[in-house]
Amino acid sequence: MKELKENIIQRLKTNFADAVAGSEFSYNRVDVHVKKETIPSILFYLKEEMGYVHLSHISCVDWLEEGEFELVFIVWSPVDKVKVFVKTRLDRENPVLENIDMIWRQANTYEREFREMFGIQFTGLVAPDEFILEDWQGPPPFRRDFDTAEYAKKTFWNRPGREDAQDVRETISGRDGEEIPDFAKKYSR
Amino acid sequence: MRDKATTLYIGPQHPGITGNMMVKVQVEGDTIIKARTEVGYLHRAFEKLQERRNWLQSFTLLCRFCVPEPDPVEESYARAVEMLEGREVPERAKYIRVLMLELARMGSYLLWYGGQNGSLGLYTMGQWSVGDRNYILDLFEELTGGRIYHMYIWPGGVRRDLPEGFTDKVLRTMDYFEKRLKDYDDLMFTNTIFQKRTQGVGVISKEKAVEWGVVGPVLRGCGIKSDIRIDDPYEIYDQLDFEVPTAEGGDIWARALVRRAEIRQSIRIIRQVIEKMPSGEIYNKIPNPLKWALPKGDAYARTEATRGEIGMYIVSDGTVNPRRTHLRGAAYVHGVSLLEDLLVGENVADISAIMNSLGTCPPEIER
Repeated sequence: MKELKENIIQRLKTNFADAVAGSEFSYNRVDVHVKKETIPSILFYLKEEMGYVHLSHISCVDWLEEGEFELVFIVWSPVDKVKVFVKTRLDRENPVLENIDMIWRQANTYEREFREMFGIQFTGLVAPDEFILEDWQGPPPFRRDFDTAEYAKKTFWNRPGREDAQDVRETISGRDGEEIPDFAKKYSR
Repeated sequence: MRDKATTLYIGPQHPGITGNMMVKVQVEGDTIIKARTEVGYLHRAFEKLQERRNWLQSFTLLCRFCVPEPDPVEESYARAVEMLEGREVPERAKYIRVLMLELARMGSYLLWYGGQNGSLGLYTMGQWSVGDRNYILDLFEELTGGRIYHMYIWPGGVRRDLPEGFTDKVLRTMDYFEKRLKDYDDLMFTNTIFQKRTQGVGVISKEKAVEWGVVGPVLRGCGIKSDIRIDDPYEIYDQLDFEVPTAEGGDIWARALVRRAEIRQSIRIIRQVIEKMPSGEIYNKIPNPLKWALPKGDAYARTEATRGEIGMYIVSDGTVNPRRTHLRGAAYVHGVSLLEDLLVGENVADISAIMNSLGTCPPEIER
């Protein structure tokens, strides 16, 4: 397995000058870091030339502190029985990547989600504007700097009598004149 | 002819007993000429919520990613955490996990029997199979305390050991199912209505299946032998003897045949697991979860679930909270753009049957 993994890295390094091997893993996994421009060609090469026919997963990670997004493409070869993690970094200010749904059709769904949730633009992506969100005006909500608690506070409100830090029993008792039962009194603030 | 097309909205109230999503179709007569899926009715931002929870607190969310089969998600998350941390799992715990996963597979298939037949108007099958599923849920309840959501498989092993006499109960349940599944065949697979409504409907060719990244029983229904339990074995699947059933045709019928055979393989696996299960520890204790920081890095663990590959990608920045968790669901691939493509040319009455056969699960698409 070790030899096979080294071969994979060597082949990718020979064909793609910017390919850098990532950390080593004891199980059937190989990591390769590339520049974002190389993504379509390296994925196409892996699929067509090396037998990595199955796109297992695409994920996006927001490294807010470093000002970058990391995109991870996990591909699998049923022959080698190895997972290759192809990783690339995008500038957070202007995240643009080439669309790859002509290589694997299901990538289209992932790209639609990342466009909506992280604000990453995929050049050449043909898909309806909206995926999960509807009439969304705010910043992409899966970014780390999007404060969900703050958003909920601004957008929603408490029903009268259910405001935060308010004892519901006391409110009901004040409103309807119901007496608070003895067992509940000890919990009242 | 195009100007005679009518637009129909199928859903969002459970189109075909799968969960809330909508399929907007344009039909000419009753033939679909264009289909567009619309999701967004169930988004709960679980992955965003997990960023604020510690590694263990995520479990209350994990089982709710997809209601019919919560266990594969729990298992893949737990295993990804173990991979990242390098935590060993006791052998007995691995056996119990497989027992749990296969029982979950059976439960999920029994629910599918109901959904698939219900979508064709054959409601008796659903009453039988969902009723029988209760025997599996009873086992889950005894073992974990919960019937549907278990939060039982967790990093380091499983939450508690098998209760006394539990394996006997499992074996008795398996005996029951071996007899009972014959009734299902009589009602469903020899039923002319079921055959005519499913053969040649929702056909996926082999080439298209690979191109679209189709997985699980849908892929095996196209005649391609692929199963993560064999190809990329996890837990103790490499020590077990079972077959990976396939069928030719790529239609709903072929997928049904695969599932029919798989439920029998699950029984076979469960019997072996019980026979071979060693004694010993079930849990490699994790440190205080409130202070439990995983090393920096990422991990991806995947499981063969009833709908195909379910995986969990987790990223740690070295703190007590995940930097990112991301579910890879089979329905994400099958239920959005593949479905749109597949529905073109089909009859409008077959939409829910096709959705069911693909294992569409909207809560998993949106998470």
